[in-house]
Amino acid sequence: MDPALLLAGIASGSLYGLVAVGFNILLRPTNVFNLAQGEIVMLGGMIGASAALGLAMPWIAAAGLAILAGGILGLIEETVAVAPVLRRSATGTAWVTTTLAFSLITSNLVGHIWGPDPLKMNPPAPLSMASFDLLGVRTNSYQLGVILVAILIVILVERFYRTRAGKAVQAVAEDREAALLRGIDPDSLSRWSFILGGGFAGLIGVLAAPMLNASTDMGPLLLLKGFEATAVGGVGSNRGALVAGYMLGLSEAIGASLLTPGYQQASTFILLLAVLMIRPHGLFGHQEVRHV
Amino acid sequence: MTDMATSSRLLLRVDHLWVGYGHVGVLEDVSMVISAGAIVALVGANGAGKTTLLRAISGLLRPLRGEVVFDGNQIGGRSPDRIVADGVLHVAEGRRLFRSQSVFDNLELGLYGARLGRKEEKLRLEAVLDMFPVLRDRLRSRADLLSGGQQQMLAIGQALMRQPRLLMLDEPSLGLAPIVVDQLLDVLVKLRERGTTILLVEQMVERALEIADYNYIMQNGRMIGEGRTEEVHKTDLLQRAYLGLT
Amino acid sequence: MSEQAQMTSFTTQYQVHHKLLPAVIGCACLFVAFALLVKSDYWLFIATQIVCYLIVAIGLNLLAGYTGQISLGHGALLAIGAYATALAMVDHGWSFWAAAPLGTAVTALVGMVMALPALRVSTWYFALITLAFSDVVNGMLGEWADFTHAFAGVVGIPMPSIDGRPLDATQFFLLSSALFIVCFVVVARLVQSRFGRAMIAIRDNPSAALASGAPLLRTRMLAFSLSAAMAGLAGSLFAVQKTVVTPDDFPLELSIFFLVVVRLGGAGTLWGPVVGTLVFFLVPQLLDSLQSWRMLIYGVALLGLMIFAPNGLVGAASRLFARGRKRAALEGFSGSNILIGSTGSVEPASLAVRNLTKRFGGVTAVNNVSLDVQAGTVHAIVGPNGSGKTTLLNLISGFYRRDEGQVVLNEIAVSGRNAAQIARLGVGRTFQTPKLLPSLTTLENTMLGGYAAEKASPLETVIGLPRALRDQNLTGRRALAYLSFVGLANRLGDAAGELPHGQQRLLEIARALLCGPKLILLDEPAAGLSMSELDRLAALLKSIRSRATIVIIEHHLDLVANLCDTVTVMDRGAVLASGTPSTVFSDPAVIKAYMGARMVNTQETAVARP
Repeated sequence: MDPALLLAGIASGSLYGLVAVGFNILLRPTNVFNLAQGEIVMLGGMIGASAALGLAMPWIAAAGLAILAGGILGLIEETVAVAPVLRRSATGTAWVTTTLAFSLITSNLVGHIWGPDPLKMNPPAPLSMASFDLLGVRTNSYQLGVILVAILIVILVERFYRTRAGKAVQAVAEDREAALLRGIDPDSLSRWSFILGGGFAGLIGVLAAPMLNASTDMGPLLLLKGFEATAVGGVGSNRGALVAGYMLGLSEAIGASLLTPGYQQASTFILLLAVLMIRPHGLFGHQEVRHV
Repeated sequence: MTDMATSSRLLLRVDHLWVGYGHVGVLEDVSMVISAGAIVALVGANGAGKTTLLRAISGLLRPLRGEVVFDGNQIGGRSPDRIVADGVLHVAEGRRLFRSQSVFDNLELGLYGARLGRKEEKLRLEAVLDMFPVLRDRLRSRADLLSGGQQQMLAIGQALMRQPRLLMLDEPSLGLAPIVVDQLLDVLVKLRERGTTILLVEQMVERALEIADYNYIMQNGRMIGEGRTEEVHKTDLLQRAYLGLT
Repeated sequence: MSEQAQMTSFTTQYQVHHKLLPAVIGCACLFVAFALLVKSDYWLFIATQIVCYLIVAIGLNLLAGYTGQISLGHGALLAIGAYATALAMVDHGWSFWAAAPLGTAVTALVGMVMALPALRVSTWYFALITLAFSDVVNGMLGEWADFTHAFAGVVGIPMPSIDGRPLDATQFFLLSSALFIVCFVVVARLVQSRFGRAMIAIRDNPSAALASGAPLLRTRMLAFSLSAAMAGLAGSLFAVQKTVVTPDDFPLELSIFFLVVVRLGGAGTLWGPVVGTLVFFLVPQLLDSLQSWRMLIYGVALLGLMIFAPNGLVGAASRLFARGRKRAALEGFSGSNILIGSTGSVEPASLAVRNLTKRFGGVTAVNNVSLDVQAGTVHAIVGPNGSGKTTLLNLISGFYRRDEGQVVLNEIAVSGRNAAQIARLGVGRTFQTPKLLPSLTTLENTMLGGYAAEKASPLETVIGLPRALRDQNLTGRRALAYLSFVGLANRLGDAAGELPHGQQRLLEIARALLCGPKLILLDEPAAGLSMSELDRLAALLKSIRSRATIVIIEHHLDLVANLCDTVTVMDRGAVLASGTPSTVFSDPAVIKAYMGARMVNTQETAVARP
């Protein structure tokens, strides 16, 4: 087993884990799993890549633009596809269809605007995709950067949930009415979660672009990978998301040398089903108590 | 006009309130006044509408008709978080805490949106821990690992972080030992001494009446009587309310 | 008309085959007329394709509309059916008449392997797993070259033949239409049976399903496997029709299309998917010139429908017509003589609770509680709020798992079983807030309670075997009897969501009674009832006490005193006192804990009433 492959697997797995963290951010106050998340990441990647290439913006500006775009798209989605159905029924599952619908609209529009060709994006200097040997393993500095940044991001996200705002988000997820009675506005928190979650997704898109090549059809791939990481890691657990991401990235890397893409997908799928049979709440997830 | 209304300052006035779910009327023409600095008890059998009235005051329910006026301001129909900012805190039935979070986190969340300086926040925390010393030892425990009595104290403490002008409690004695209930009622008396106005809904009728300055009695969504404790005992209003006699 | 005749004529209105027959005949006539009048092969081709889609749509509606499980994998299931049939016919020379059932079976089996883990977790997991499934199927079709011929596809699929002569376009259209009608009847019969009610309950209020004994996973699997089988069947028709199948024929778009037409027509209605599919085909541009915008249009359609018209076309129309619907009524009907005994003699059960304990974190909600209820008696559980009464009921009925202790029903320990299993043992219950299905009528809600009492399997129900019909008939009659008894005879056809609170409670009691129960658990049934409704309740409880054991949580102490043989008083999770009402209510400890000291005198008076 070529260690370079494994390292590359950890790097792409970091990205999958981050997509799953994005799901968790939105899931907390709203209990909505955003089926359009993959598209927001994709949009971030496209805008970042276009800004960097077409407008020759420095990486940091391109990333900023992508984050902004993600945040705006998240806000639009919350207003149009999430709030109306949650208002009608806080416990229903209509949002599955509406967030799916939003992803179809976004993906189609973005596809028409940009076309199907993937865009190349360069990593921010001084990182690059040029390979070198680290302790005998073939890698590139961007890969290492992504791995480190992902861990950093997860630490920061966990830090956030220890702030008052983060605790308020958890409170709303736990007992919406009790939160209301303590001066917390769940609607406002939902909106902000979608804005921040959208911005976060945009950032992930920019991070992913150099490695995965930004293209308008990467949305569904990221949705599925992100979902698999969430399901295996456990809904709501950010560390679990990252670890599960690593597992996915590694199995993908190992699989790539042995199997063709279709078989890879099939084997990951079977693994997912197996995990769900044995531990339906994922590796780090918790069972919820149902009150009758 | 009752003598409750003429003495001291009116803090809360509920005027001919109607509340319903769909076409089911739950509160019919309910009126009530609370003077500043008083403990007012609200009693009645299950289903009389006491919890509904509290929820209408704290903003969880929109009234169909009528007014809720707090310190001169109309609060009927406003969103709950704004009513909290005005100084009305509702400690709901069943100790609605954020169970997966710690005692400290729960207390901290009591200050959400309060915009106080760090020093002031620390002072408030200390004040609440002084009032409920048992919480001090358990500051880092998860809320759901506390006993029932401790959870109730935490719920009240959480509300007290905001230094409410009107504190509304819905059946705080639920499932608690008499000794603990005594402690809670002592806390309420202490709070009144410090100037907090209290609206207490209780099923332990006698205990509530003991500490209350004034009482309201509800039955089937209506207010059927009111008065000071001695006056109420002279009538058969309580028996009527609890035994369902008309 | 005699009571009996009145009831029979009423229930026949609910018999499935009476309502379905005109629809089936109408459809058949339309199809035959089309076949006779239209000679162009092109139009016959289009019509056959529509029929294929209709079959998938009504199957998806059963799963997503009635049971509430959104699937993004039905395009993939169609693909599996098509490929299985095509490969069997082309590579192995099977005839259509064998390959089609094979395709159907393979699709159902593969689907079930995917669905089993997926249906055990939340709804949105299921949607995403089916999405992943679509992806995998797509990938495998392209790559498993040895088996599927990869992108070259399976070519040269022959038309089915009879006696060596292949069917022409018209005949094939008629074959497809006939299969569609069969599928429609299957779905209709299932939906109008106890299984359909169970599916709707799982979608709208799973506790109601559990309390009636409907198993969650098995019912979901039933809906799924049937919908997968139909997709497989449609796939086999699809394959033959197109004569070539390639992986490109089954993009994700197809799965989304099926979701759109089900939503458009009206999810959870019989005709919705049919209407939705047909309406969709009225816009031919969608088929070619707007191709690249199709997903956008689907997205906008889905979003708009979910927000502005969640009931779709058929749903909206039936709302309009419901206003004018005749209110089902049975005047002057007491039904008292058709009560419980109709399912054969039911012996009331004895209940024993031994040292039962339940903790939630640091709070012990039920603390070492023991009690004994003799068969055929009425036992009240009273106590202040927060004393653990409802938690105790939840433990007995299987909605909560115990931490310690035993629940013993008729000498058999049932402590580990889940709520649906305990309901099937003959335990009916009501809830503190009624858990009803607001979109179904009063009668249908009540009939849900009969789920466990009916024994016919889904297959027997769908075929319409006499045993199944008899069971359904009996459930209907028993439902009518109980509803008349609780005074809801004039609200049979009203949507349960529109009933006032007190009547919703009575409806829930009627539903609990239909579990044919040996034991009924009632959680504050008298709360919010008017005086006349209270009288009815007392009369009802008195009339069933010899046939069922009753355990009732109540605050109305005079109801308790008049009706109950024994009482248990709870306080802070533990038993404070137990015995007859007069002993318990004169116990000073009880009075102190439960009421104020001043209440003693009045309470003695109340209890002394005969």
